[in-house]
Amino acid sequence: MSSGGPRLFLLLPLFAVIAAFLLYPLGFLFRQSIGGTSGFDFESYKALFCDSYARAALIHSLLLSSLVAVSSTLVCLPSAWLFAHNLFPAQRVVRAIFTLPMSFSGIIMGFLTVIMLGRIGVVPQLAQKLFGHDYLSGSAYRLHGLVIAYLYFEIPRATLTLESSFRKFDRRLSLAARSLGANGWQRFSYVLLPLIWLPLLSTFAVTFSASLGSFGVALIVARRFSLLPLEIYQQIIGYGNPRLMSAMAITLVTIAFLVNYSVRLAGDRQQRVI
Amino acid sequence: MNRITALRLFAIGLAAPFLCSLGKAADKVVIQYDCIPNYANWGGVTAEYTRETGVRIPPDMKGSSAAMAALEAEKANPQADCAYYSAAIGYQASEKGLHQSYKPKGWEKIPSSLKDPGGLWWTVHTAYIGLIVNKSALKGKPVPQSFADLLKPDYKGMVVYDDPTILGTGFTYVYGINAILKGGPDMNAGFAYLKKLDANILNYAKDTVYNDVLRGEIPIWINADGNGLKMKYVDKGDIEVVIPREGTIAMPLVMAMVKNDPHPDATKPYLDWLLSDTAQKIMAESFFRPVMHVQLSAALQKEFLPESAYAKAVVLPLAEMAANADAVKERWTNEIKH
Amino acid sequence: MTKFKPGLVTAHLLTWLLLIVVIAPLLVVILGAFLNVSFLGLASEQWAARKGDGIFNHGWFAYVFHLYGSNILFSLLLAGLSVVIGAAISLPGAYILATCRWRGLRIFEEVVLLPLSIPGIAMSIGLIEAYITFRGQWWLILCGHILYTVPLMTRVLTNSLRSFDIARLELVAQSLGAGWWHRFVFVVVPNLRHSLIVGSLLVFAVSWGEFNVSYLLNTPLHQTYPAALYATFTANSFQVSSAATTIFLALIIPILFALQWLGGDEFTHVEQSA
Repeated sequence: MSSGGPRLFLLLPLFAVIAAFLLYPLGFLFRQSIGGTSGFDFESYKALFCDSYARAALIHSLLLSSLVAVSSTLVCLPSAWLFAHNLFPAQRVVRAIFTLPMSFSGIIMGFLTVIMLGRIGVVPQLAQKLFGHDYLSGSAYRLHGLVIAYLYFEIPRATLTLESSFRKFDRRLSLAARSLGANGWQRFSYVLLPLIWLPLLSTFAVTFSASLGSFGVALIVARRFSLLPLEIYQQIIGYGNPRLMSAMAITLVTIAFLVNYSVRLAGDRQQRVI
Repeated sequence: MNRITALRLFAIGLAAPFLCSLGKAADKVVIQYDCIPNYANWGGVTAEYTRETGVRIPPDMKGSSAAMAALEAEKANPQADCAYYSAAIGYQASEKGLHQSYKPKGWEKIPSSLKDPGGLWWTVHTAYIGLIVNKSALKGKPVPQSFADLLKPDYKGMVVYDDPTILGTGFTYVYGINAILKGGPDMNAGFAYLKKLDANILNYAKDTVYNDVLRGEIPIWINADGNGLKMKYVDKGDIEVVIPREGTIAMPLVMAMVKNDPHPDATKPYLDWLLSDTAQKIMAESFFRPVMHVQLSAALQKEFLPESAYAKAVVLPLAEMAANADAVKERWTNEIKH
Repeated sequence: MTKFKPGLVTAHLLTWLLLIVVIAPLLVVILGAFLNVSFLGLASEQWAARKGDGIFNHGWFAYVFHLYGSNILFSLLLAGLSVVIGAAISLPGAYILATCRWRGLRIFEEVVLLPLSIPGIAMSIGLIEAYITFRGQWWLILCGHILYTVPLMTRVLTNSLRSFDIARLELVAQSLGAGWWHRFVFVVVPNLRHSLIVGSLLVFAVSWGEFNVSYLLNTPLHQTYPAALYATFTANSFQVSSAATTIFLALIIPILFALQWLGGDEFTHVEQSA
């Protein structure tokens, strides 16, 4: 089709926005991280990977994001399956409620976590009334509280991503397997699983990169636990090292990009095979 | 198309008045960095000024060090008119050349140890570092009476102090604890104590936790005594303010005018007013000791802790404190936080 | 089908559980905003609710509007402008991306969609560092919002354009003698009505909840509502924070439900508002 050259100017505004607000700032950060105008070296990256506290923040971030990504994928799997097969009552309302946490800023999630799971949170106070012991009191400040807070905003991402892949899944394959005498578990592990490992991976990628960059939740909840976004924040509001900060930001971007891109590549390859 | 048109009209309708209000909002304001409503009752102080003059001073949640960092980042294009610091950070910011000289009305009455001779900073009130304890949150445990008590395993996960790299009160505490414990210039005694205290810390607060303490979410907060007394007498919380047996740290809190600030004409009267009887009285009502002599009611005076509690107060040398500030913050980050 | 299926029951139970987990904190917050009780501790602004001393009161809301009313207006303005500018930039851009088959455009499209998967804090830091001379200008915050929202809008529009095979429609129009401008105005845009509404709602929601750019670029004069929310979480009592959060929710919940009914929720998972 004659997609004429002159029409390309319609692309200009989009190009300008992306160049000015995405590519230039990221390039600027990268240049700053390798020494800016004054020189060229990878000292800041060396510091990030070798300095105990910067490295700890990096490792914490990676661990927490993986933990959250895996658990949210698992937790939301059943709901996504129900939604995909329209098996849940009042599904539209329920799904709308499920999407709620997504548009909350992370700070709201942090606030909610403290209200629910703080030292005098609603859950421990209820537990005190019901069982005579303030179970979960103060868990907002510990690792499991942080995981719960992150899970909260991953529920919609995981559920919706999984649901849309389940919807694409050809039910006839499952019916064929059933007619061949496969029971539910066999159908799941031999038919469904090989087909959904990729959606699982992409759910992992979506939730992983959302957790990796999340900063509002951590700002309120991560009290004794250093995370990369928090370190970046600390660097910018306090007296930080701009080079190290840029290196941290570039590292975050690179990791998120690599995770998403490799999942995409895997998806493309599978499509070619099928 | 009508739905999109409606949407667009809606957006334009929304946008127009706000664009106007954006322009309008800019005229009658003074921007004060570190204007935390619940710290030293800045909320009350600024509200009174707005009532009297119509000039708005929006709240700002930056701590002293964050304010200094922001001023330095914005040096080419300053956004703030004035800033409030704990003295050492204000001193450091002056040395970085972030302030302009201004001597507000009444400046000459401030004791010379509490101001810069050139008018780069001056004290507005003083506080002492104390333990603010929410008794109901202790759940039956005794109220700690000393810094040594805080190390007891009883208080695990109950103690909070401010992150010294962001908030000035936290910095004053981290710096001063060494002097209270009679440590040497190497600060090792102080850091050894903070290291032990770390086991009981719930959090190094990046923002004020005034409400969390009042609510009982945080049982023990090492902070300015005035904030605790306000919780006790103004907000009627189940609060006790303890000046630790080992001693306390005097913390002057200072104002400074930012160099090349955007609204100098509105700022100078405000800085004058902060030293006036009215303003100093409001600060006193939230238990920060005014730098000017103002007559306080007997009832209010009784609510302040007795002078004897402060017998062992340490006064820190500001110049030395400012010179070592960056090193101490870095050491704290490396040894305590991580 | 009457057979008892333990897997199905477990899935239902889990979904109900997730539903409770999502709703419970919101209920606590909304109740906290209306009730004049101290079940989660005292308020430092008790005077704000004292009017009449009843259990129900609106005092907290009045106080929030008094303190943060200008922030609400500023955020609404940003969201409105993001929708208008975002649509103006994305519409022509998406049209070209969906109709031109030039290979380079595929790479460009990947770049355009990058902001959806890389951590927001890194992009905020980039904007701050690269445009440090404009620090404190309110439109810099707007630029940040546009950076987030343009990819979202573009993605919604390109997906839609590809789904109804715009190339063929255009070919028909072309064969009838319509130039590309006529085709764009009379064929493409009318077909995109639904997607434009969905995209606008999404953009509005994302912009309204955006925290990273807003918070790191904010000045006391130009503070968005999520940044003000963070201020209430630290500076105000639970009751006032709850009222502020309730105001935030009051705007976001109808939008999310509207999206659910318009069928736009498959796009929501790309948001990076956390």
